[in-house]
Amino acid sequence: MNIKNTFSILLLFLSLAVFSQDSLYLTSTIPEDLKKNANTVIRLHDIDISLNSSSDMSIKERRIVTVLNKEGNDNVDAYVHYDNNVKIVALEALVFNKFGALIKKVRKKDFRDVSAVDGGTLYSDSRVKYLEYTPISYPYTIEFNCEINTENTAFIESFSPIDDYFVSVENSNYNINFPSDIVIRTKEKNLNGATITKEELPNKIGYTAKNLIAIKPEEYSPSLIDVAPRVLVSSNKFTLEGVQTEVTDWADFGKWMYNDLLKDTYDLPASTIAHIQNLVKDETDDIAKAKKIYEYVQDKTRYISVQVGIGGWKPFNASEVDKLGYGDCKALTNYTLSLLKAAGIKSNYTVVYAGSSQRSLETDFTAMQGNHVILNIPTEKDTIWLECTNQQIPFGFIGDFTDDRDVLVVTPEGGKIEHTKKYTANENVQYIKGRYTVSNEGNIEVKVSETSKGIQYDNKFFLDGKTERDLDTYYKKRWRYINGMSITDLHITNDKSAVEFIEDISFKATNYTKKAGNRMLLSINALNRNLSIPDHYKDRKLPLKINRGFKDIDEVEVRLPQDYKVEFLPKGVAIENKFGSYKTELITKDDKTLVYKREFKVNEGDFPKEDYEAFRDFYKEVSKHDNAKVALIKT
Amino acid sequence: MRILAILLSLSFSLTISAQDYGFGKVSKEELQEKFNPLDSSANATYLYKNRRTYFVYRQEEGFSLVTDVQERIKIYNQEGFDKATKAILLYDYAGDSEKISGFKAYTYNLIDGKVEEDKLKNDGIFKTKYNEYYEQTKFTMPNIKEGSVIEYKYSIESPFYWNVDEFVFQHDIPVKKLEAYFEAPEYFNFKSNTKGFLSVVPKNETKNDKITFNYKERNTSMGGGTTFSSSDLDFVKYVSSYDLSNIPALKEEPYVNNIDNYRSAVKYELSYTKFPQAPLKYFSTTWEDVVKTIYESPNFGGELDKTGYYDDEVDALIASVSDPLSRTGLIFNFVKSQVKWNGYNGKYTNDGVRKAFKDHVGNVAEINLMLTSMLRYAGLNAYPVLVSTRDNGIPLFPTRDGYNYVITYVKFPQGGMLLDATNKFSMPNVLPFRALNWQGRIITEHGNSELIDLYPKIDSKDQITMMVDLHENGDIEGGFRSIKTNHDAMLFRQRYDDVDQADFLEKLENKYDGLEVSEFKVVNTDELSKPIMESYKLFEESQADIIGNKIYFSPLFHLKTTVNPFKLEKREFPVDFGYPSSSVYRVSVNLPEGYQVETLPEPKIIALPDDLGSFKYIIASQKTSIQLTVEYKINQAIILPFYYETLKEYFKQLIEKENEQIVLTKTL
Repeated sequence: MNIKNTFSILLLFLSLAVFSQDSLYLTSTIPEDLKKNANTVIRLHDIDISLNSSSDMSIKERRIVTVLNKEGNDNVDAYVHYDNNVKIVALEALVFNKFGALIKKVRKKDFRDVSAVDGGTLYSDSRVKYLEYTPISYPYTIEFNCEINTENTAFIESFSPIDDYFVSVENSNYNINFPSDIVIRTKEKNLNGATITKEELPNKIGYTAKNLIAIKPEEYSPSLIDVAPRVLVSSNKFTLEGVQTEVTDWADFGKWMYNDLLKDTYDLPASTIAHIQNLVKDETDDIAKAKKIYEYVQDKTRYISVQVGIGGWKPFNASEVDKLGYGDCKALTNYTLSLLKAAGIKSNYTVVYAGSSQRSLETDFTAMQGNHVILNIPTEKDTIWLECTNQQIPFGFIGDFTDDRDVLVVTPEGGKIEHTKKYTANENVQYIKGRYTVSNEGNIEVKVSETSKGIQYDNKFFLDGKTERDLDTYYKKRWRYINGMSITDLHITNDKSAVEFIEDISFKATNYTKKAGNRMLLSINALNRNLSIPDHYKDRKLPLKINRGFKDIDEVEVRLPQDYKVEFLPKGVAIENKFGSYKTELITKDDKTLVYKREFKVNEGDFPKEDYEAFRDFYKEVSKHDNAKVALIKT
Repeated sequence: MRILAILLSLSFSLTISAQDYGFGKVSKEELQEKFNPLDSSANATYLYKNRRTYFVYRQEEGFSLVTDVQERIKIYNQEGFDKATKAILLYDYAGDSEKISGFKAYTYNLIDGKVEEDKLKNDGIFKTKYNEYYEQTKFTMPNIKEGSVIEYKYSIESPFYWNVDEFVFQHDIPVKKLEAYFEAPEYFNFKSNTKGFLSVVPKNETKNDKITFNYKERNTSMGGGTTFSSSDLDFVKYVSSYDLSNIPALKEEPYVNNIDNYRSAVKYELSYTKFPQAPLKYFSTTWEDVVKTIYESPNFGGELDKTGYYDDEVDALIASVSDPLSRTGLIFNFVKSQVKWNGYNGKYTNDGVRKAFKDHVGNVAEINLMLTSMLRYAGLNAYPVLVSTRDNGIPLFPTRDGYNYVITYVKFPQGGMLLDATNKFSMPNVLPFRALNWQGRIITEHGNSELIDLYPKIDSKDQITMMVDLHENGDIEGGFRSIKTNHDAMLFRQRYDDVDQADFLEKLENKYDGLEVSEFKVVNTDELSKPIMESYKLFEESQADIIGNKIYFSPLFHLKTTVNPFKLEKREFPVDFGYPSSSVYRVSVNLPEGYQVETLPEPKIIALPDDLGSFKYIIASQKTSIQLTVEYKINQAIILPFYYETLKEYFKQLIEKENEQIVLTKTL
């Protein structure tokens, strides 16, 4: 092939490229299937990362996004975070109308520049520059160009073409270039079924995704991160706020964390050590000692987040927490660890993804991960996990914030992956024992005692310490189907050692029954009705996931009105399937007393999407039977 | 007798010593207190709050405003811990900025019967450039425990002397003792406006003061040297001081327009300045002044007079139309389609009407002043109307800040018309919810003004017709149609705007757990002058209870109200429905074959007192069908707390009536 030919071919490519580039600004060129369920279409997303060394990385991003309607404005994502270690080299945004004509150009200085401190943080040095734009009409297209340079290479942006629901992708390209002395690790997730290609060269890895349709959120489904395609990327050598390291596996990684981030922070003053040793001197058992220390920490400290430089990754010194009485999750966990150490108890700093969706660390991918820190105390029987940022939670209880997931336990010997406590359906129990009397007028007087455990405890213990007014609102909302309710007596017991929450409530309500002539209809299940049926989807796309199971056991005695007798009693029900079980029983104790028994259990688990309708039907059945009525007739 | 006197004086001095508000004089009693005896539900309490705002004169810079703050807070429990963190925003504009100084803060704890103090060190204070206008100083106190008392003080010096922050007397936690002090030299005339339910009366007095000017003069003759001299300027200061105790906490309630309307506070607004040898300079003092100041601002009145940027377009638009109403409609729609609202409120333009028109984006003032201007250009009697949004509260006193929004009023021989072009679905006299707040102020010719009621005079109507067949198994099947006008229509259009229909339907179906909808249709989405019409076929399982050989059901089916919106036992503030409304539900039910009506609920009428609202339930049955008409009316947007008990009871009875059962029996 001679030079001339190459040139003309190049030229041809060039003109094709120009054509396709231009068409990216035109709304009419969006393929139909990418508009389905989409508020935003990512027309082109190029991420080019140059890892020049383990302490020098530049990232060039070009993102062309067409916004189809007002809901899509949030997905323009024309912003960039920066701080002392991240320099913005170039930044601009271009706005096009639906015909592809440029209507606005926004330069770096015209981006809004604000502190990126969220509500829960006292201070952080992180800042953000963002585009503020009011759309004139829909659809419109924004091109965002940004280039940054950073010394921090501990986090390498992953390839995640779909970063939100209702977003589709026409073209997404990701490239990382790196020097020969660095090994790049990747982990591919959920790539099946997506048109994604990979290119691998000695100093370069590239991914390309084309035509990814939008994902719509659905109830009882895995979180987006578990269904959207993603490639995680990390480097074996990296720098974090000036700290350099090289790791190959979790053991290494843990050693690095321990030696470079944790080891020199356990500097308790002698007086505190003496105080702690004195505090636990009468306890012989390590667990009892740990509990005392944990409660000491809960009493002494509170959660305040301050993130500056390496402080985003390295805890405050224990002496600082001791002095100030506050800290973030790293600081409070580390402080607890130091105090336990002073009492001769070994515990470990543990990195986790917090949140109710049980996100595990990617265990086969050694890299900086997680967004929270908890404490692990290994014991002979089983492991104790401690949440150190909550002043109210019982010792050893972690609730749905960090339960049932893979975490990184950092020990002086290195890191290892462990799994946190899982709360099973049989542990997440709520018992209701109650009694109510129905008057001739249809009013009721109720006395009920509820005991909640496991995750059901977790859902309720926040009520401890609420004001009477707040509690009044809470219970009226919980029993919102009871009209005209007024609480006569209320007593709450938060038993932290047994991890049980007990609510004793008495209330009255007028016209509870429905009257029709000389008949009265009594909805027998007054105290625990299932009130929501999972949403219906014409075309369910995502698998069914029940994150946590639970079990409710109710027994309620009902005194019937003086002047009425039973005309009709609903029959008991027993349903059992793979999602759980439901059983009710209505016993006639005497001609004025009924006993209503109900047991409703839902199992946790993963099921194919085809099971969703059956699961929904189960809930529909439960709701129907929860509304079962007794017909009473005047004597 | 003598002993008694001694005892009295003793107890008096004891009281004094228990209440020492000097900085750092935190007492054991304060640390020992377990709860606020006047409000046991308080998580924290201001034991003492002191603010002094006054003017200082510096020879080089002139007057500036100084505010000294001292606060002592008791924290009773963990829920009160957030009071140990505070953020102070300092304004920074065009090279001038507010500055903080003299910051001191301590935490006090009682440990083993001893008072221990922890000083807040510099590493616990964080300064951030918050955004382009504000600098933020944020701090959190060390060693906070249940029972801690914290105390801090600081001073802020501000060059923006015309802007005195509101003195806020009431907070989300109670205040035991509050002192406030405002002092201004005679050159600055301030007007004070008090709001809230508490009775707050200042002590007013005058004081004398002087400014000393120092001069330095270089003598050019007599061989040089410098002469120093000084002269005094005597002036009078006006002082107001407040001394309050036991101020209750202000608690949120549902359906309150804006809780700040009821918060006790006083605002000082500069009405004029009168410096020696200078003319009076007015800021505001009466509504006329407020209006004048606003009107004369180049970002208001000046913007109203510009016509050159749109004349060609508007000429073309109205060329063939002479009817004033049609012209108004054309221009209103033209502005709505040409310029989109950027989400910013404001009575002043920001980038100006010309730029807004060119860029097709503007704030509230740009859009509605442009609208007013175009209407005038087209020969209509159009005027700007100053409005305070719901978020901004109700302007009770003449202040410039009282209004933060502007709309348009057009006068016709047959009556007036309010217009707001910032919302796609807003219609004449149907303003967006944010602007629907009590009264606005029309600025008429020559900068005069008059009040105008913003609440609509005509009810928003919702007429629902539902015809269903009830099956023997309790399922229902039939058709639904609703016709909505005014605000009900506007809210529907906003909800329906730009949504995916399939998605909208899914939400509708899921709202009524298991309703199945087909043949869904919405008519008049864009023809705002017509009511919006929504219709569909429906199917829903198990809407009746089959018990023995009888069928029980309540004839409104899924349309019935099940939850009383008013649950609180008592209420302090008015209930705000936003706008008057009336709805009529007409339901007809075809009975399953072989069944006849055994029991039918009684008809019922419930009326709220003073014609505030009413509920009518009228039911009749034929051999094979039942007809029900239910009418709901709320005749006033705002209902005073005086009526709360009645309103709550009204809703309770309404719900009970709606839930009453019809009983059918099998005839065969």
